[in-house]
Amino acid sequence: MKLQEYTESRHNFEECMKCTVCTAYCPVLQVNPLYPGPKQAGPDGERLRLKDPWFFNYALKYCMNCKRCEVACPSGVRVADLIQSARIRYDHTKPKLRDRILASTDLMGKLTRPVAPVVNGVTGLKIAKSAMDAMLKIDHRRTFPKYSGRSFEAWLRSHEKEQAAFPEQVAYFHGCYVNYNHPDLGKDLVKVLNALGVGVQLLDHEKCCGIAMITNGMSEQATRHAVHNIAVLKKAVVDKGLTVVTTSSSCTLTLREEYPNLLGVDNSAVHDSLLMATRYIYERLEAGAKFRFRTDFHKKIAYHVPCHMERLGWSIFSERLLRMIPGVEFTLLDSACCGIAGTYGFKKENYEASQAVGEPLFEQIRSVNPDIVACDCETCKWQIEMSAGYSVINPISILAQALAE
Amino acid sequence: MRFDTVIIGGGLAGLVSGISLQQAGQQTAIISTGQNALHFFSGSFESMQEVPKRTLDLFAGAGIRVHYSPGVRLTPLGTFREAALSLEDTSLFPTPRFADKILIVSFAGYLDFFTSFLAEGLEKQGMSCRICVLNLPELEKLEQGPSEVRSVQIARTMDRIWEKVVQEIRALLRDEDTVILPQVFGLQDISVPGRIRQGVPARVVFAGTMPPSVPGIRTQMLLKQRLRVLGGTYLMGDEATRANIVDGKVHSIVTRNLGSHCLEADNFILATGSYFSKGLKTNPFSIFEPVFGLDVEYDEDRNRWYDPAFANDQPYMNYGVRTDAALHGLHKGKPIGNLFVAGSILGNTRPDLGSGAGLAIRSAQVAVDQILSL
Amino acid sequence: MTTKDFDVIILGGGITGAGTQRDCAMRGLRTLLIERSDIATGATGRNHGLLHSGARYAVNDAESAEECIRENMILRKIASHCIDETDGLFITLPEDDLAYQQTFVEACRKAGINAEIIDPKLAVRLDPAVNPALTGAVRVPDGSVDPFRLCAANMLDAKLHDGQVRLHTEVTGFIREGDTILGVRTRNLQTGETEEFRAPVTVNACGIWGHHIASLAGVNIGMYPAKGALLVFSHRVNQMVINRCRKPSNADILVPGDTVCIIGTTSTHIPFEECDNVAVTPDEVNLLITEGSKLAPSLSSTRILRAYAGVRPLVSADDDPTGRNISRGIVCLDHEKRDGLKGFITITGGKLMTYRLMAEMATDVVCRKLNVNKTCETAHTPLPGSEERSYEQVARRIWEKPSMAQKAAASRMGTSVSRIGKLDRYDNALVCECEEVSVGEVNDAIERMEVSSLTDLRRRTRIGMGTCQGEFCACRAAGLLAKARNCVEKERSDLADFLQERWKGNFPIGWGDTLREAEYTQWIYKHVLGL
Repeated sequence: MKLQEYTESRHNFEECMKCTVCTAYCPVLQVNPLYPGPKQAGPDGERLRLKDPWFFNYALKYCMNCKRCEVACPSGVRVADLIQSARIRYDHTKPKLRDRILASTDLMGKLTRPVAPVVNGVTGLKIAKSAMDAMLKIDHRRTFPKYSGRSFEAWLRSHEKEQAAFPEQVAYFHGCYVNYNHPDLGKDLVKVLNALGVGVQLLDHEKCCGIAMITNGMSEQATRHAVHNIAVLKKAVVDKGLTVVTTSSSCTLTLREEYPNLLGVDNSAVHDSLLMATRYIYERLEAGAKFRFRTDFHKKIAYHVPCHMERLGWSIFSERLLRMIPGVEFTLLDSACCGIAGTYGFKKENYEASQAVGEPLFEQIRSVNPDIVACDCETCKWQIEMSAGYSVINPISILAQALAE
Repeated sequence: MRFDTVIIGGGLAGLVSGISLQQAGQQTAIISTGQNALHFFSGSFESMQEVPKRTLDLFAGAGIRVHYSPGVRLTPLGTFREAALSLEDTSLFPTPRFADKILIVSFAGYLDFFTSFLAEGLEKQGMSCRICVLNLPELEKLEQGPSEVRSVQIARTMDRIWEKVVQEIRALLRDEDTVILPQVFGLQDISVPGRIRQGVPARVVFAGTMPPSVPGIRTQMLLKQRLRVLGGTYLMGDEATRANIVDGKVHSIVTRNLGSHCLEADNFILATGSYFSKGLKTNPFSIFEPVFGLDVEYDEDRNRWYDPAFANDQPYMNYGVRTDAALHGLHKGKPIGNLFVAGSILGNTRPDLGSGAGLAIRSAQVAVDQILSL
Repeated sequence: MTTKDFDVIILGGGITGAGTQRDCAMRGLRTLLIERSDIATGATGRNHGLLHSGARYAVNDAESAEECIRENMILRKIASHCIDETDGLFITLPEDDLAYQQTFVEACRKAGINAEIIDPKLAVRLDPAVNPALTGAVRVPDGSVDPFRLCAANMLDAKLHDGQVRLHTEVTGFIREGDTILGVRTRNLQTGETEEFRAPVTVNACGIWGHHIASLAGVNIGMYPAKGALLVFSHRVNQMVINRCRKPSNADILVPGDTVCIIGTTSTHIPFEECDNVAVTPDEVNLLITEGSKLAPSLSSTRILRAYAGVRPLVSADDDPTGRNISRGIVCLDHEKRDGLKGFITITGGKLMTYRLMAEMATDVVCRKLNVNKTCETAHTPLPGSEERSYEQVARRIWEKPSMAQKAAASRMGTSVSRIGKLDRYDNALVCECEEVSVGEVNDAIERMEVSSLTDLRRRTRIGMGTCQGEFCACRAAGLLAKARNCVEKERSDLADFLQERWKGNFPIGWGDTLREAEYTQWIYKHVLGL
């Protein structure tokens, strides 16, 4: 390379032209003027932090990691990564018990499974919610997701032989939500892929992708999960030559981008083989595969693009699959953040901001008044169901519903 | 994924092309690295002394209210620049002396609206000015923040409280015939500027501020909506990294987000803008076009890229991608048959097409006509 | 100004002049400082910002080295808010002779400089930016200093001791009676007004322009203008000063300062006529990048912010008019002894960081001439702003939970930041976002620090010194200045001048992100704002 032929900087912060477009599109700043905004927190702040770590601003914890600043940046600065990586490097505040609980989805899932019905009952009770509010500062207005009595892994394992019989195979990174809360989504994916002649196998003991750990100050633990998951993914991708599909946009973004960018864990061996299921399915259809759809599936569907899906740039695949279904009246909702930002919206200090951020989206949904809101993200689902009162279903599940028997 | 035309660049040139092609029945996709330069729009379309009907129709179809009135626009620093076509809320005057007594209204703590420069510039033209600063409690919260208060943040609040502003103006107004307000109205609700005009018993002129430009953001939002309503695809936050060229024609392009999932099309339009948006990239020894490697018209001697006087015309701003008469991009002197170039990436290589917004719109329409005639 | 008579008139508003005024004022003299432009516009505002440990001179110029390390230690105490105690490294690269290291360390020790040989691997851990191919490393007490802050603090202290200042005032001639200088004739370059000032002693502290001033007084000082070019990188790449452990040569020091780092420097003889208009050549740019990348490889792929050059005021050691025998040391000339001209002395040469010693020398001569018997206190008395060493503590005491702008103000103003402590919310608004400069800080500078233009403001607050190079802040600051001085018309041309001054430093390195930023600035100011 010739001198100055190109320039490099951490998350491209040098390329910032100070145009402030990122700040114009930050959902947090719109409801909380005390947040420094992505430009100050990111590229401006980086220069000052390099001068003296004292310039690290603890208010960076209000960043929702929605990545909309990055999507908006005309210069390709990874603003959100700058902010999150600054938090990892400079904020050594020990995470509170509440944050550890919220971020440890694997652990919570395993603990609650045997007593799921009890837990589900209790977390719905007002008195339990008030207790959690008072003791842990988990806002009492937030509804908790229900836990399933049987894990998705257990179910798929029981169908191992029949899945292995399919001529084509994929591996499925199911994530915590499908495994502990909503195995039906995983079952729907299996149904849809089987309809294309593709069998589904589990990875060799995946762990939680770690996204909540990254944002809750548990980056060391997240890194351990990352190293483990990459090894597991390599077994599927490199050793077995499989594509790995996912159904959660946040898990996908974390595995593909946050691992190398924020945790410094190299995933180059598996990056290109990690696909959202909707993209994988779309590509198979493009290559000639076909679905048979029911003729009596008439639904008005409004598609909400989750923030991390927007960042991945793959909403086009989910959108096109939904549009393919005959009888679907499709509306693409304006791209807007729902406000929950994973564990962020559960915290008492963030609850009001979360709801304020999401309000324009809820209003839009109400004005469209769909039968179903389609969405690839589970936390968006909880938020929209609770705040707008509409049923939110993953595009994969909608496909599964629409397939002819 | 397959389209009839893929447009690389989601600014004015890209959007005008996409909308026109979509209207003609094509399936188009636009790829945009982040938000576009319309966010820094002045409010008037440069180099549009003549406006073809199709352009007016396109704006009307998108719900963008423009007006054609050759004359001058008032700049944020109180000077006047020639303009003919502008957004409805960017006033155009036949001559710089457009009023007798002016009331300039601003908001306490807003640094990006230059009231003293405006007043001085207007007074130089023989108009008398009075400056009033409103103290609104709704804006207080914004100012408490550690971040900068920009036009967009104020505009969001204004969409809700504009009626209060109108009331305050009515109370403040004495015998002035014109009121000047900053362009911080009508971000989401496009009817606000018009309704303010109706509510104030004087002529209302909206003067520009430091970017981001609220009218610019609104305009590009409407253009994007129009594209979507017509069935077009806008891939936001993605970047074209390279092209697959087969037998002298572009077969497909690769983008950062879609990776192995290439975008195929019969035709392609390159509208990636100039240096700011990285349509043209530079290093100490060259200026190049990064997606297709098209020929760039520039001086090999770097010392000649600049004029040492900032105020003078800068040579580097005239450099651009070389094209043939039909706007095909040239690669090592040969035109690529299905690749067209539009917008500021052309620099000043096509003086016949003008500059700025005029260049974007005209070159887009040339490219569109070429594609549709094939 | 009512008084036209002073005890001493000091010519030159660089660090030497400001330091001399401070020392004189502290010893009770009635002082007047006259400066042709703004403070720190000569070599003071165009150097490397290096707080030498003196190690660089230890081998060839032991006296200079000893001077440096003594002043280094003094400045850390009296000018703490202007100094960043970064420490420094002298690295040996594979192409250098490692044996030189031993010579170097011995010479340092002899000069009283704490030079510690460390394992190259430790050097890389201490400063990850350093070239990992280094074969040797020596740790020394280098640091970085902000010359604008230092100059302003000295001038402020002089003012607090009743010193008077006249900026933008040119000396057009001397009032001479026989062989005695009685004072100066001046013209105010902003108003055109002419004035005379009288004092029994006049001090020539005009740097390279001292040659011209001396000739106006009727004496000749052989001077040798030596231009030095430097590059500012857009962010702070290294945390310690990085030097090359070999015979001093071009572009072998990389200094971290505030939010940037600076590589320098070169040495080219230029004619006197060029001193007011120095430019950086493409060859100099190439040299700086090439050599700099040897110290810190990442520089070859780091955005460059601007290029600038300054002129060293070197004095011929023996009045040789050809200027061949150069002295880099301090030159203090009592023209009564040297040329038979009473009432006139020249203090020049030296370095930015030995200014206090130079000022002491000059003031000693002045006091001797005036029969004033006062000792120099400048080595023990902290400058305004440096009364406390930790700006973090200062900030926390004033604000408890300081915002970014407040923290940044504390790091720039030291204890003086209490002046803008409890301001209303409008004063907390940001003018310069890159460097976090608030309205309060700007207004304070305008009120108390003789600001008459945007470039003056930049020198005192860092506005426009960030990566946007004035793109956004220039207009905002112009609005504040226009309001403060009630003159918009002038502010327009001031704005144009400011952007021109920024551009001058951008186009020599106008590629990549720097060119993108320049295009953006052109677009905004010409097309949108209509400048």
